Amino acid sequence: MSQKMHKTRRNPVLQAFFSLLCCLALTLGASGCKQENGKAENAAPVSGARPAFLQIGEFSVHRVSDTHTEVRDGAGRTLTLIPHNAPLPPGCDPKRVVRTPVKRVAAYGYFDVATLRVLGVLHEVLVGVTVPEKEWAGCATDIAQAMKEGRIAYLGDSTSIDYERVKQVEPDLVLTWDPSSLPLLDDLNIPAVITSTPQATCLNAKMRYVQFLAPFFGKESQADAYFARVDAALADIRARTVAAPKKPKVMWGDIYEKRVLVEPGNAWVGELVGLAQSNYQFKDVFGTSCIEIAVERFLYSGEDADIYFTYRGKKSGATSKAAIARTNPLIRNIAPLRSKEGRVYVPAACYLQSMDKLDEVLTEIAAILHPELYPQHQLRYFEQLPDEDPPKNEPPKTAATAGGVSR
Amino acid sequence: MLMSVKPFFTRLWKALASIHLSLILCLLLAADAVWGYACIHRQTALFIPLNDMGLIPWARTWGQSAPATSAWFFLLLILLALLALNTLACTLERLRQLWAVRTQFSLCRFLGKLGPHIMHLSVLLILLGYLASYTLAKTEHGVLLPGRSLDLPGNAGKLHFTAFAHEAYQGKRMPLFQGEVIRPKALLRLEAADGTVREAALGFNRPVRLGGWSVHLEEFAPKHSGGMGLKPRIDLKMRRDPGVQLYFAGILLFCLGLGLYLPERLVQEKHQETHKKPLQGETGRQK
Repeated sequence: MSQKMHKTRRNPVLQAFFSLLCCLALTLGASGCKQENGKAENAAPVSGARPAFLQIGEFSVHRVSDTHTEVRDGAGRTLTLIPHNAPLPPGCDPKRVVRTPVKRVAAYGYFDVATLRVLGVLHEVLVGVTVPEKEWAGCATDIAQAMKEGRIAYLGDSTSIDYERVKQVEPDLVLTWDPSSLPLLDDLNIPAVITSTPQATCLNAKMRYVQFLAPFFGKESQADAYFARVDAALADIRARTVAAPKKPKVMWGDIYEKRVLVEPGNAWVGELVGLAQSNYQFKDVFGTSCIEIAVERFLYSGEDADIYFTYRGKKSGATSKAAIARTNPLIRNIAPLRSKEGRVYVPAACYLQSMDKLDEVLTEIAAILHPELYPQHQLRYFEQLPDEDPPKNEPPKTAATAGGVSR
Repeated sequence: MLMSVKPFFTRLWKALASIHLSLILCLLLAADAVWGYACIHRQTALFIPLNDMGLIPWARTWGQSAPATSAWFFLLLILLALLALNTLACTLERLRQLWAVRTQFSLCRFLGKLGPHIMHLSVLLILLGYLASYTLAKTEHGVLLPGRSLDLPGNAGKLHFTAFAHEAYQGKRMPLFQGEVIRPKALLRLEAADGTVREAALGFNRPVRLGGWSVHLEEFAPKHSGGMGLKPRIDLKMRRDPGVQLYFAGILLFCLGLGLYLPERLVQEKHQETHKKPLQGETGRQK
């Protein structure tokens, strides 16, 4: 036995191998830790230059050369961006080529429209939407006005698009969350970008999504400035909440005819709740946005939750805690609905159309989680529900009109 | 000069064939896998494109962009390469020794003794298959709607999506799954480049093959009879993968090695039992 051990110790080649591997592992590990602690990312501009490759969740932007950029969309398709009149790069599928800057865009989602606004190109490029004019009125009044004047066309509901209308408005690019529209858009020779991903969008991707769309319009500096603004808001949230006296328990989801849909832990809201020194009740749930879970799981998480965010707004009947409990008796016993201390928030009418103010939305969520740290905050994107509906002759009273976030 | 180089290579060969190196590598691989688990858990999105864009383009872009999260993967490749070298050297060394004493065994015993070495070589073949798959495979994505067709790249054939033939949950024990598709199935008409047509059913883990491409079901909609109003569609991944033949060959070879090894093992056990019996007798006598 001792002879064997002696033999092993004396094997110089084996020793050299082992030492080399240990060094390699330590070097890689150390470099990894350095990157992690310093928040250094390849995505960050290095000495003023734009990075060659930028990962944004499942999206990516790869600058192959000054006139050739490759982007990967939410469905894993690679699109080639080249300037107008530039020759096609060799081996490139002409159906996956987008000429930049893009001049006419049709957009399916609120978030894409808000991103166009961030980039400062909304009024120049948006020619079609899948949300009717009345839905924009009151929030994005400029879009409602443009639709009234015929500058932006209504292309039909997102589940039943009028492709004849799409053809008429001649978009250079369609931003869609729906992969089933790809074959029909291919027939019309209109390039499309899938803006949704199989997994829920993480916080970093939500903040950086603007940097994914920026190369289509040559607005990278606007995107960087916006990201810096949201990043600063996040840093402020982190700094303010680091010494929060209490960690509230939060749930985010809704119930539709016995089917419970929630935001998973990998979604941006789950990450934000954790970052703001709070406990997200579905942090162990992983998957797509609006993921379906068992009712029992929802009820279990609701037993000791403090705050509940719903998907539905007041227009859909979520006018009070009692109204939600009446509509969905299955969940009436979750703590936020049952107890007086529990708080329930619904998205305000303009929430979905306000994602160009992501910094404000993030701050508002932090203010809801820790009202004691944001005493002056006025709700704009969410509304706190009262316990009971007010009598019909009385005007509705919410936290926003009551002068701040109630506890 | 040649004299000094030869002992070095002999030592290197012996070190490569050493069982101690195997143990060290296995321990390092286990530690690296733990590191990898943490990285994948933290940033799953980084590794998703590796499945379709290939190892080299991924390493140059996604891999390089997040070295803190991808370093374990590059270390894994190095460790696997070393383990492959170690296995190859070890196997060749033992085969050389076995060949030298081949006359001491009958053909059947000799083949039985070859079994473990064949299994080792087959593992190498499987690893090589995966390497070929990650470096040489071509992947394309496509979406098909009912009644529409899609051409395979390079005019290798045409896929026509006829209809869904899903199996949905109809039981009453789990209300959550009522009406949920539990076994997705899409009926396709496959038209080869030479004009021959056949029908096929596509499902998860049930790809169809046409013109050298394998077509996989990635996603489908709707997933529920009373769903969110999503239009019927199937998302496809089409792969031309030269690695598949290699790792299927590796699996077959592994089975062959196992088939040769098991009888040899039984013979060995029988042999040990016959040697043990007199010993037990001796113990009895001593008592």
